[in-house]
Amino acid sequence: MLKKLQIKKHAMTAISYMLPLVVAAGLLIAIGNLMGGQVLTKFNGNYPIASVFTTLGVWGMGLLAPVIAAAVAYSIADRPGIAPGLLTGIISYNIGAGFLGGLVGGYVAGWVVAALVRYVKVPKWAEGLKPMMIVPLLSSLIMALVMFYVIGTPIVAATNALTNFLNSMQGSARFVFGGILGGMAAIDFGGPVNKVASLFADGMLLQGIQQPEAVKILASMVPPFGVTISWVLARVFKRRIYSKSEEDNIKIAFPMGIVMITEGVIPIAAVDFIRVAVSSALGAAVGGGLSMTWGIKSPVPSGGMFIVPAMNKPLLFCLALLIGSCVTGLVLFAWKRVVKPEDELAKVEEDEPEEDIDLSDLKIS
Amino acid sequence: MKIVGVAACTSGIAHTYIAREKIMKGAQKLGYEIHMETQGTIGTEDELTPEQIAEADFVLLAIDIKIGGRDRFEGKKVVEVPTNTAIKAPTKLIETIVNQLGLS
Repeated sequence: MLKKLQIKKHAMTAISYMLPLVVAAGLLIAIGNLMGGQVLTKFNGNYPIASVFTTLGVWGMGLLAPVIAAAVAYSIADRPGIAPGLLTGIISYNIGAGFLGGLVGGYVAGWVVAALVRYVKVPKWAEGLKPMMIVPLLSSLIMALVMFYVIGTPIVAATNALTNFLNSMQGSARFVFGGILGGMAAIDFGGPVNKVASLFADGMLLQGIQQPEAVKILASMVPPFGVTISWVLARVFKRRIYSKSEEDNIKIAFPMGIVMITEGVIPIAAVDFIRVAVSSALGAAVGGGLSMTWGIKSPVPSGGMFIVPAMNKPLLFCLALLIGSCVTGLVLFAWKRVVKPEDELAKVEEDEPEEDIDLSDLKIS
Repeated sequence: MKIVGVAACTSGIAHTYIAREKIMKGAQKLGYEIHMETQGTIGTEDELTPEQIAEADFVLLAIDIKIGGRDRFEGKKVVEVPTNTAIKAPTKLIETIVNQLGLS
């Protein structure tokens, strides 16, 4: 049943539509703020360029809940989902249910639209009216009631409670929280676990809490940097833990890491998943814990080293990143097996061994 | 054997293209003809032509998100897997599908 609902696929679709918007809006805010911009409130033709950037960024962030809700609803119900999804999201934004409200509302909107399309039967002469009027109107009416009277209030309460909880955390609790978030964000190199952590951090950003975002950015860069450090250590100490093709992959993974693309590590992790994943998660957990403890905030959700200047404590961030990456590098260096010459030969012949996967529930439609 | 497929992942910058490469290599290793379309953040690349789709024995979707133009595959045999499955074991995946469809 759960599998049939495809909850994850819809959320992933929403994230994929949301990412470019968050990046653009976040960077606009960061650039505007660095130039001393403020959010414009009077529109009288006097628009300093810094304030123009900041304002557009803030407005863009406000669009996130509508875009998420619309994308989830679109993923579920196809095109008819977009309009009611946007409306659901704008309610969420305005009543303060933010990101979470947009996400939850998006599912409800999508299912409502899908049900309407499927079960509302109209006479032949009204068939043109169904997609143009009946479905949009009915679904929007239903979503207005649902958002204002049913799911809005508890989500606002939950969001506020979470916000207060995160703000009130002290000392070791902050370290543990940052550690868990960082570990999650790094353990599968941009896969589903990372997306959950990432979704959480983006959601918090919309509530004005910027610390989780810094942890997320750090954790995305620790695996590539850590692997690179372990490779450098291996070269210095002449301990051959990487084959030739892995070395080539590391040379690609490092620059990708600078722009916060963790995925460059995948080819290296694919050959030795447990060791690379665990050491990456360890390093990111340490770095993330430090980042939370030191109160590092990032107003931008993505962009790697280029957006570090936009953070409140850029130097401390670099230090936390360095410590985390060193942990990953050292663990990998100590834990990884030395490549035997015959392994390397075998690898050339067979190129990459495939993992065992369970294909028993493969559906063909 | 002729195959067409689409790859699309969440961030649309990495897994999409890794899945495409792996599937192409896997199919070529088995001696099958394959065309893969990618729907990344940049948009659709290597779009499948109607002829390629019409000639294909089945459609392989390695996707984590909703893709555009799914209606093109109406009436064809469609297999949908997450990009991860295709990246981990592309050859096994294709072999399994071919066996289950009884095409081999």
